[in-house]
Amino acid sequence: MRFLVRHSTRYAYGSPVELAAHLLHLRPRPTPWQRVISEGLVAEPAPARRRDGLDHFGNPVTWLFLDTPHPAFEVTGEAVVEVRFPDPPPAAATPPWEWVARAAAQGGPDGFEAAEFALGSPMAPAHPAAGAYARESFAPARPVLEALLDLNARIGRDFAFRPGVTTVSTPVERVLATREGVCQDFTHLMVAGLRALGLPARYTSGYIRTRPAPGQQQRRGADQSHAWAGCWLGPMHGWVDLDPTNAMVVAEEHVLLGWGRDFGDVSPLRGVILGGGAHALSVSVDLQALR
Amino acid sequence: MTAEPPLDEMVSGGQIRPHWRRVFGTVSDLGAETLAERGRHLDRLLTEEGLTSLLPGESPVRLRCDPIPLLLNAAEFAELEAGLAQRAELLERVLADIHGPQELLASGALPPAIVHANPAFLRSARMRLDGVEAPPQRPLHVYAADLLRGPDGAWRVLADRTADAAGAGYAIENRRALARALPELFRAERQVMRLEPFFEAWQDSLERLAPAGAAPTLALLTPGPADKLWFEHVVLARELSCALVQDGDLTVRDGILHVKTLNGLRRVAVLLRRQDGRTLDPLEQDPGSAGGGVPGLLDAARTGALCIVNAPGAGFAEAPALAAFLPALAPRLLGEALRLPGAEALWLAEEAARARVLADPGAWRLRSAQDGRARPVPIANLSAAGRARLLGLLAATPAGWIACAPVQPSVAPCLGPGGLVPQPVALRMFLLHDGTGWRAMPGGLGRALTEADAAAGRLPLHGLAKDVWVLAEDAYAEIRGPARAAAAPLPIRRAAGELPSRVADDFFWLGRYLERAEAAARLLRVTAERLDRPAPTPREQAEIRSLSECLIVAGLAMPEAVRGVGAGVLASELLVAARPGGALPGLLRQVSRIAERLRDRLTEEVHAIVGRGLAALVGTLEDLPPAHDPGRRGLEPLQDAMAVVLGFSATVAGLAAENMVRGGGRLFLDLGRRVERAQAVAAEIACLLDQPGATAQPARLEPGLRLALVLRDSVITYRSRYLSLLQPAPVLDLVLADEGNPRGLAFQLAAARDLLAGLGREGASEDPGLAASAGGLLDAARALPAEVAAAPDPGLAAAQLPPRLRGLATEVAGLSDGITRLYFALLPAPRSLGLEGEARRLRGAA
Repeated sequence: MRFLVRHSTRYAYGSPVELAAHLLHLRPRPTPWQRVISEGLVAEPAPARRRDGLDHFGNPVTWLFLDTPHPAFEVTGEAVVEVRFPDPPPAAATPPWEWVARAAAQGGPDGFEAAEFALGSPMAPAHPAAGAYARESFAPARPVLEALLDLNARIGRDFAFRPGVTTVSTPVERVLATREGVCQDFTHLMVAGLRALGLPARYTSGYIRTRPAPGQQQRRGADQSHAWAGCWLGPMHGWVDLDPTNAMVVAEEHVLLGWGRDFGDVSPLRGVILGGGAHALSVSVDLQALR
Repeated sequence: MTAEPPLDEMVSGGQIRPHWRRVFGTVSDLGAETLAERGRHLDRLLTEEGLTSLLPGESPVRLRCDPIPLLLNAAEFAELEAGLAQRAELLERVLADIHGPQELLASGALPPAIVHANPAFLRSARMRLDGVEAPPQRPLHVYAADLLRGPDGAWRVLADRTADAAGAGYAIENRRALARALPELFRAERQVMRLEPFFEAWQDSLERLAPAGAAPTLALLTPGPADKLWFEHVVLARELSCALVQDGDLTVRDGILHVKTLNGLRRVAVLLRRQDGRTLDPLEQDPGSAGGGVPGLLDAARTGALCIVNAPGAGFAEAPALAAFLPALAPRLLGEALRLPGAEALWLAEEAARARVLADPGAWRLRSAQDGRARPVPIANLSAAGRARLLGLLAATPAGWIACAPVQPSVAPCLGPGGLVPQPVALRMFLLHDGTGWRAMPGGLGRALTEADAAAGRLPLHGLAKDVWVLAEDAYAEIRGPARAAAAPLPIRRAAGELPSRVADDFFWLGRYLERAEAAARLLRVTAERLDRPAPTPREQAEIRSLSECLIVAGLAMPEAVRGVGAGVLASELLVAARPGGALPGLLRQVSRIAERLRDRLTEEVHAIVGRGLAALVGTLEDLPPAHDPGRRGLEPLQDAMAVVLGFSATVAGLAAENMVRGGGRLFLDLGRRVERAQAVAAEIACLLDQPGATAQPARLEPGLRLALVLRDSVITYRSRYLSLLQPAPVLDLVLADEGNPRGLAFQLAAARDLLAGLGREGASEDPGLAASAGGLLDAARALPAEVAAAPDPGLAAAQLPPRLRGLATEVAGLSDGITRLYFALLPAPRSLGLEGEARRLRGAA
């Protein structure tokens, strides 16, 4: 599927900002199954300096530095990508989940990159309560993907999608207690629960199509940044992407930006400003299917 | 504990080892009493040096140094240097790999849990820029290691210090203090290798790290005076000729790091960081990191426009778990065996290691696998409950722990109360990569361990240090390393322009607070003197009323506490203001705080005298009688104490005049004093002329006029000019308009005008505006007494001045704000967008 992505972020400041530095995870990551056909970033005012690079996880990053006073800042990322997430293997054919956890702990050539994602991180710690919630899906020796699909469906069922009740820093235990939140919260919860079981899970940032495909229902989390969990099935099968917010396997309605341990690693736009007073933020996201 | 007796550094087989003989002989000749006296002398020298805080409630860091050095002969030193050089090389390979290709992880040589679980593993150090070759920078430039020598005579590394390798500053301070306290030792033993060449090589190699095309400007980034190693930062900045900067002094523009000076931005090419790698750049911090830092700093380093040493993330090599893998990594990465063993260490994620430790837990110490700065816990010393809790933790997070075998430290002679006693010692050594290879400082920081320290396997941060002597085989030890880099000739500069804005700001406020403290002392003294007189006359009572109002204006008393109260209540209010917790000690605290921040800008002599003076003052104020019970001597002790404060202030003013170069900091110190005094004089005279009923009956002005002369210390001048007849116009002329009276208003304004004009003339930020406004205020001040003299009723004219004088005081305050805006305005503190989080304590070091 080919998509046109447009993601705009605008900060309006109470008083002019004298200096600003922004770190963007706003260019889609190319992978064997996601081809980036074109991409562009436009910032207003134009930055004094722009740098592109790759972060520790291999995601594309962009630094923008502004050094003249500006009352507002707007950045728009636009890209055309062709994407088809790989089909997961038959669930019953995947290894027992304990085996996957062991492979991650061992590290070495097959597991060391996945192993990093089995460890707790600042926003998705290996939280025991999240682990207890996840464990209900993980009966001993259950094939790992079966258990993951069950967990993915349970989160979709048990938690209410309610924008505005949480912030970017709401901790996992709060979400677990109130049973509501947005895609970011559900993803952190799922990732934290899996890590508590010793399973590698990564926080994936991206988008879901704004208008559903014919015959499909409207998805939650459209019109904004979306997030879901990447889960490791062991060295043989690699990763599978699961969207707990929509209780679905990620296939061809999603576009990938990048992944990290949690939101903090792949926040689409973070920055440091000097001056500026209070600020107002507006974000718009549009993901169109192009045929 | 191992049963084996510890090795004695000085004695072997009942004999003094050859390289100790001269030192031992000299120490014996001096005798116990002299030695004890020299020990106290050494304490005094270091207390003065290390004085960080002088006021009650803040405990100064105590650095003591034992008068007996720890001796290493040339062979011992060479072996240590070679072993540590190899270790530094090995740690560099590990750092380069984990921040780069991570082949050690892919091959399984290092388990991921050691790297990725470590909170000090800096993911931003792995970021790569498109089209920019990573600058060819070594991860380590300096390296330090803590060592103990076991009973078998072999040194073992206990801890690696790669984030900042702190302590070299202490080592050179110890050496210098010892040379002053015990010159006999240095006369007897002429083979001691000097430490200065190491620091020269260090500065030289830092300069060599400057990017091509940039002047080799060095800066040392410190977290500031609150840091427990502030003293070290000050010493190092001095030894290495670095500017001492905090993150607020720095800004990155177009990928280049600058320090903000009065003349604008000045490039920094090499940054010696003494701040955790995780807090260097707020743009790339984990959410909830401690904050601070300079946005864009890491970007500047990535493009090679700035060299940060040690490289951000270098602290990862301090992880104790890494030490357990070094014996296997050395052959793999260097093709040779590890020369200098560490204490035996087991990473407890491995089941076999756990089984070994659990079989005999008492024989091991547990350490955090990640945090090299956390204290090891000896299992044997724990209660049964404590042991169960620890083993529970170990079972829950085995990968977070290592076990290490204790090393019985060697002993060396230290001065005890009754003479020399052998005490366990640890040694911190420092290495530097000078561009051609690793070289060790021929010395180090020795530390005497108490029995408890030794048993717990931890190194004390404070306590007793020892100077470390390396004895050269040849008195003219060779000079190694590359030849000194040739420096371009420096342009001659005399202006204040290169002064960092923050430093100028600090000098300005040092001047203001010194002056404010002096004015407070003068006012308290004059008031106390009047209150102490038995049975005051009506005139004296009027004076006391006026003084109470002045106390309120000066912020030394609350209106409700001193208006309409009896002499007894007023007396105790004076004591409240002067005693600990009162307004005056508060001002002295500000003086001390700022003087400490300016430490690298004051000569040692000035700093020491200010420090001693403040310490004495605090003692004097503490000895004042309690406010509720002044006692039999009444306010006499208060008057005496205020005389001490005035003496201190005069000393500092004299020191500044005689010792500090005009321009630079001195200029702002003077400016601060002038502005503060001008504002205070205008407000004070307004208050004194504001006598009830004076407009109707100008004779009532007399007590105010008299006090104006007393408080402006102008009684004698007035008397010599006018004898004893008090009239408004001559009095006001002397205190407001006479530019020759250093305590009067006109003098302050004229001086401020000239100082501001001088700043402009010397090429710093041009602004005739401020000098002109100071000049305008001077004209306004001079006009007032002239008007009074010309008025038909001078008394009435004088009584009507207070509102205009208060207006003048406000305008002086405006001048001060103008100075702040023009010269000091620092950038506002950076704020984060898009990510937030609870502040977390940083563990380990990066």
